[in-house]
Amino acid sequence: MADPHSHPPAHGTSYDVTKDADTPGGLFAVYLVVLLLFATTFFVSSSGVLGRYALFVQLAIATVQAGVVAYYFMHLRQGDRVVTLTALASVFWTLILFVLFMSDYMTRHRVVTG
Amino acid sequence: MTPTANPRVQGVPGLTPPPPEPPPASPNYLENGTSLWSWLSTVDHKRIGILYLLTISAVFVLGGVAAGLVRLNLVTYNSGILSEDAYNRAFTAHGVLMLFFFLIPAVPAVLGNFLIPMMIGAKDLAFPKLNLASWYVFLVGLVFGAWAILNGGIDTGWTLYPPYSTRGSQSSVVPGVVGVFVSGFSSIMTGLNILVTVHKMRAPGMTWGRLPLFVWSLYATSLIQLLGTPVVAITLILLGVERVTGEGIFDPAIGGDPVLFQHLFWFYSHPAVYIMILPGFGVVSEVITCFSRKNIFGYHAVAWSSMGIAVVGFLLWAHHMFVAGISYYSALLFSFLSMLVAVPSAIKVFNWTATLYRGSITFQAPMLFVIGFIILFTVGGVTGLFLATLGTDIHLHDTYFVVAHFHFVMVGGMVLGYMAGLHFWWPKMTGRMYSDWWSRVSAAIIIVGFFLTFVPQFYIGYHGIPRRYPNYPPEFQIYHVLSTAGASILGLGYLIPALYLPLSLFYGEKAGANPWSATGLEWASPSPPPVFNFDEERMPVVVCGPYEYALGIDQLGRGLPEPPGPGGAEGPAGRAGVTGPAGPMQKETEVVG
Amino acid sequence: MSASTHAHSPVLKHHFNDLGQQHASERLGMWMFLATEVLFFGGVFGAYTCYRLWYPAEFELASSHLNKTFAGINTVLLITSSLTMTLAIRAAKLGDRAGLYRNLLLTFALGAAFMVIKGFEYAEDLHEHIVPGASFGGEIAADTAKHGLDAGKVRLFLCFYYVMTGIHGIHILVGLGVILWLVGQTYIGAIPPENYSTVECASLYWHLVDAIWLFLMPLLYLARGAVHYGH
Repeated sequence: MADPHSHPPAHGTSYDVTKDADTPGGLFAVYLVVLLLFATTFFVSSSGVLGRYALFVQLAIATVQAGVVAYYFMHLRQGDRVVTLTALASVFWTLILFVLFMSDYMTRHRVVTG
Repeated sequence: MTPTANPRVQGVPGLTPPPPEPPPASPNYLENGTSLWSWLSTVDHKRIGILYLLTISAVFVLGGVAAGLVRLNLVTYNSGILSEDAYNRAFTAHGVLMLFFFLIPAVPAVLGNFLIPMMIGAKDLAFPKLNLASWYVFLVGLVFGAWAILNGGIDTGWTLYPPYSTRGSQSSVVPGVVGVFVSGFSSIMTGLNILVTVHKMRAPGMTWGRLPLFVWSLYATSLIQLLGTPVVAITLILLGVERVTGEGIFDPAIGGDPVLFQHLFWFYSHPAVYIMILPGFGVVSEVITCFSRKNIFGYHAVAWSSMGIAVVGFLLWAHHMFVAGISYYSALLFSFLSMLVAVPSAIKVFNWTATLYRGSITFQAPMLFVIGFIILFTVGGVTGLFLATLGTDIHLHDTYFVVAHFHFVMVGGMVLGYMAGLHFWWPKMTGRMYSDWWSRVSAAIIIVGFFLTFVPQFYIGYHGIPRRYPNYPPEFQIYHVLSTAGASILGLGYLIPALYLPLSLFYGEKAGANPWSATGLEWASPSPPPVFNFDEERMPVVVCGPYEYALGIDQLGRGLPEPPGPGGAEGPAGRAGVTGPAGPMQKETEVVG
Repeated sequence: MSASTHAHSPVLKHHFNDLGQQHASERLGMWMFLATEVLFFGGVFGAYTCYRLWYPAEFELASSHLNKTFAGINTVLLITSSLTMTLAIRAAKLGDRAGLYRNLLLTFALGAAFMVIKGFEYAEDLHEHIVPGASFGGEIAADTAKHGLDAGKVRLFLCFYYVMTGIHGIHILVGLGVILWLVGQTYIGAIPPENYSTVECASLYWHLVDAIWLFLMPLLYLARGAVHYGH
């Protein structure tokens, strides 16, 4: 778990913030992808073709959208490992909450007999 | 002192002699501005630690008074002193103050704030202004809490379960909820600051495997603060909205499930007990190595068990709800997961015990508190397993057995851990030594008083006396009287440090940089430390693990000064050649990191 | 101007060794704050999921009465504001002050438009009695009765609707305040390229609030998937 920032570089080492500035074209492409996904979820849900799987499809699309936003707009792709770890930790802990909640709410009405 | 006079250096040739006493810092952090404003506007993590210390000490007194009222009332079996309603408000005040405003900030915000940057060799925490903001936010939360109490108090218990808290209760639930909500932000700020600092600001050479275990435990604590607290925040918002508007998602009248509140509440509040206890584990690891003059046994096991507790601690909250009507299958799962958390806790206790084995133990006050901690925590932990077991929990749920169990962990464990840490680092924080004799007396009184208070509660709980009731059958009066007597002794025990610690500021002997002959980086700096913790021209560079007592070197690779305690040939230092670390123990030297 | 910086930049705070460490710390701190936000919303999403599983018909019916047009426009506005916010970081990194102004103000305008539309939507909901509590009534109540569903559980959904969009709205308002502050900082010249991370941190927050909306939109407005109500 070596951390590059715990060892300060020697004085005078240049640190160029312009180096990884985004290109406008790339950002527009990401923007269009997110918009397109939104259009998909909007029209597919309105048409009702998804039936009872609507919730899962919608949530899957939203997750992809959020992932794209996080990776490109929020610069997760440039972040150091611990930033990625933080993002994953928040997802993991939310999953803990959901899974263990469901362990109660999906089995609450099953009565043990005998 | 010549290098060869140090027995440890004698046993290990080629090591550097102990460094000369560093010159006193000028100005030290206490002298850098003495006006009230210089304190209220400080961004120095050490001063903010002191501000927190003063604040939570006041809360501790208030919470203690509430506990005193509860205990006095229970001397008679028919609620002789307080009205039944006042009794409800008294135990709620005790719970809310002690948990949210004392135990949660106790070690992280006082000792953690003060020590984390020093221990990792940084000049300050990563976000000094955020750190100061956290104290002000805490005060705002406290003001709301005080408002709730002065405005008649809250009668729901600290757990605030609906529908009583949203519909039935006529007490100041809303200000109390706001107070807890706001103080949660201060907890998040402290945790976030510590996490970023540990990740990004470690001194050169301070690898993860060389972090003091106090830092590891605070890291784990901060993780829980960061990921758990927001869930209770949204829960309290939902509760507050429901109480104010009269309709909400926990309302059974519209199909809502009050048990859902308990799920959300305990998702935070169960891990919160690890926020309270984990820092205590860290203190124990620091103190026990120093006063045994030994390397910690199983560094990585102790470090990773902290992380294990932080993660597994999130998987078992519903053991508070076994009789609340949750699904049987779910209860079974949570019961199993609850047992699981005993594993990392036991790993720690075994490793501490193994650290004591054949150590040159001295019994100054921090060590006495730590030994008390280990014994009381073990009792508290083992009785926790009774409650994690589905069958026995049906009998023991909401009885005094539960009360005794968590007081063994929270007071017997955490408050003793806090006292140990305070006594251990007091010379560093203030530059003064306190009375050795009085501090030992106080530790002994606290431990005896504690046992007397809570052992009878195990008994009456096992016999079915429910908690939170002001009345009980007369034949149990003797146990309640014993418990109240114990609480009085406990109170006396806390009163003594409240006298000798402040007095030491004026009359105490001046402490050197390293009065306990400990190895951490914080001891390399003069006492009290300078504003930016270290000599800024020579920031520390770490060369070895945190507990090289067997080698007799600190984390900078320098020799250690003569340890305190009974001097001469009778003292542990004099006996070092026979039983001490530099003698037969040498082979157990493990350079970690 | 050259954006390469040295150890003694005026932006560098005393307790950091260099700007790389400072920026990494600020970014990590912001991400950790976002993790708390995820768990904060995660709590109420978890609660929503429990009830949605228990009462699917009522939740879908209630959802179908909300105004999808307003919500759809709002979604587009927020996604666009995320783009302009990211362009603002680029401008800050390159030292393009005019671009920074332009993109910050655009982001502000888009966010403000979101809130205005949200306001109209709330007004319409109130007018049509799409509210929990005693004022519940109108068309949604009639529709509930027509399908033989439980009005209480429809109101339960509406509790979620108001709490979730309300908390999200508060986050947007905070974000708008932060953007205004950034505009002020740009004006006094406090955001040279080596201080771009201030814009980056604000943008991280803004994107998260945007991403939360991307989940709120299908859960609240597009829940009607099964078409048929009833058990």
